Amino acid sequence: MVQTKKQKHLFLAFCLLPTFILFAVFTLYPLFSGLYYSFFDWSGSSSKKEFIGFANYVQLFKDSVIPDTIIHDYFLVVTKVIGIMILAIFFAVALTQLKIKEAPFYRIVFFFPNIMSVVVIGILWTFIFNPNLGLVNSGLEVLGLESLAKPWLGDEKWALPSIMVPAIWAGIGLFMLMLMGGIANISKSYYEAARIDGASEWQQFWKITLPLVWPQIKVSILYIVITTLNGSFILVQVMTGGGPNNATHVMGSYLYQQAFKQYNFGYGATIGVMILVLSLVTVLLLQFLMRREKVEY
Amino acid sequence: MEKSVGQFLGRTGIRIPLILWTIAVLYPIFWMFLGSFKSNAEIYRNPWGWPEVFNFNNFSQAWSNYNIDTSVFNSLFVTVIGAVLTLVLAIPTAYAIERINFRGSKVLFTIYISAMMIPMVLGWIPLFFLLSKLNLLDSIIGLSIVYAVSQLPFSIFVLTSFMSTVPKSLEEAAAIDGMSPYGILFKVITPLTMSGIITVSIMNCIQFWNEYFMALIFLQTKENYTLALAIDYISNEAQYTNAWGTLFASLVIAILPVIILYIIFQRRIAKGMTEGAIKG
Repeated sequence: MVQTKKQKHLFLAFCLLPTFILFAVFTLYPLFSGLYYSFFDWSGSSSKKEFIGFANYVQLFKDSVIPDTIIHDYFLVVTKVIGIMILAIFFAVALTQLKIKEAPFYRIVFFFPNIMSVVVIGILWTFIFNPNLGLVNSGLEVLGLESLAKPWLGDEKWALPSIMVPAIWAGIGLFMLMLMGGIANISKSYYEAARIDGASEWQQFWKITLPLVWPQIKVSILYIVITTLNGSFILVQVMTGGGPNNATHVMGSYLYQQAFKQYNFGYGATIGVMILVLSLVTVLLLQFLMRREKVEY
Repeated sequence: MEKSVGQFLGRTGIRIPLILWTIAVLYPIFWMFLGSFKSNAEIYRNPWGWPEVFNFNNFSQAWSNYNIDTSVFNSLFVTVIGAVLTLVLAIPTAYAIERINFRGSKVLFTIYISAMMIPMVLGWIPLFFLLSKLNLLDSIIGLSIVYAVSQLPFSIFVLTSFMSTVPKSLEEAAAIDGMSPYGILFKVITPLTMSGIITVSIMNCIQFWNEYFMALIFLQTKENYTLALAIDYISNEAQYTNAWGTLFASLVIAILPVIILYIIFQRRIAKGMTEGAIKG
């Protein structure tokens, strides 16, 4: 290309600089100054920003709500990983291996909740769990099981598991598609060889499908963990706002309450640092635990 | 023969969970549509049946009493401006990273990509004060900028992979014909990656249309509410007013554009989302 060095640099700057400046201002700077804010006692007005060292972190360890929020987050992580992976693997295998004519229909339907707004999902399910009008309690009544009916989201014991249900409901489709992509890449000859050797469909699943889609399973699990730790608070915020009596608060919703409802911005930032550290540690740990030789036949 | 009977039964058996899950997905959505046509009295009497008459009162209620029209406009604004701004920012960067040799291109790409894994909630506190300083708090323009920047990593990631499929010889030919690098970017590369640009834009539009939490933090007055916030507001009010019909109607207004986009671009959306997730 006929182009001087200066022209090349100008073009590079044109391509990269405006984008990077905006990215730095609106993403990188807020993240780093979030770390910085965590060392301050600050209620929002600039005059009353006081450096307090690690006092927020000490408070973090003394705050009796914090352990609950962490437990709630990891409860959602574990139940979502198990629930989504079992159903997604089952559906992915059923829709690819079992030659069902209407498979595309199921694929299209199952994926749809993945692109619904969390607000719509949250409000819809809040209504499904509504003590008087909701589907769940009316359904139990029809089945003659009135005794099991309860105000699901108002019950300290049942509120969090009730939030887990729509979280799984809305998550299945994406991971089913990811696994279907993995299964589609498995050479048909493996299955033919297995059939000739007399392996049952069940054995084929354990010995061929599962090991060969392991990379997709791994990515799916990591993705569920990351999105849950970084985003479960949105559904919580819509459905319960953390209540009843903090029974559903996760780290993110507690941060929102501390920072934007009670104006403890410094402490809120400290919770944010905790979320960042925990999710990075969790992801690294999982990557270490799930490292496994790539299977090739 | 025996085997095929067994297989037939097996196939039927496997359909049972598939059909049950279909009902679990579709029925709540269907139910929401039915509820939007029922009066409140009817919702109480018969919460999960067919409406006696289809009336559009709930929609006009939502429209007039809760200013849904303003919220629809605000949501459209942040969606369109956000999506356009994302493209303006992401296309040149994706091109430079993918096609121009320069020191630090790998590092830059890694910085953008790792931002997809970082919990942004920590950044939202400083961002709140930054927007306030820039007079962009409680502003749909400010929210559009925040949205656009938040989708940069995903967009750059998908666009670079689409650009890598454009043959280099086309660029070289254009350069020999005397076209400037700007011309190559806008007149050769951009049209040739239109498919990727459309995919990215649909994903971003759905994301911005649906977004709730950043809007909750960065918007404050009702005139600036996006649809997600307006619905949340109606939902909280409904706890006291029991205006469930209006709530259902506003949910329908929020979900209808997404359903229409999904019907048209079903394959593209599914592909865009799985590719965005597999980056790890």
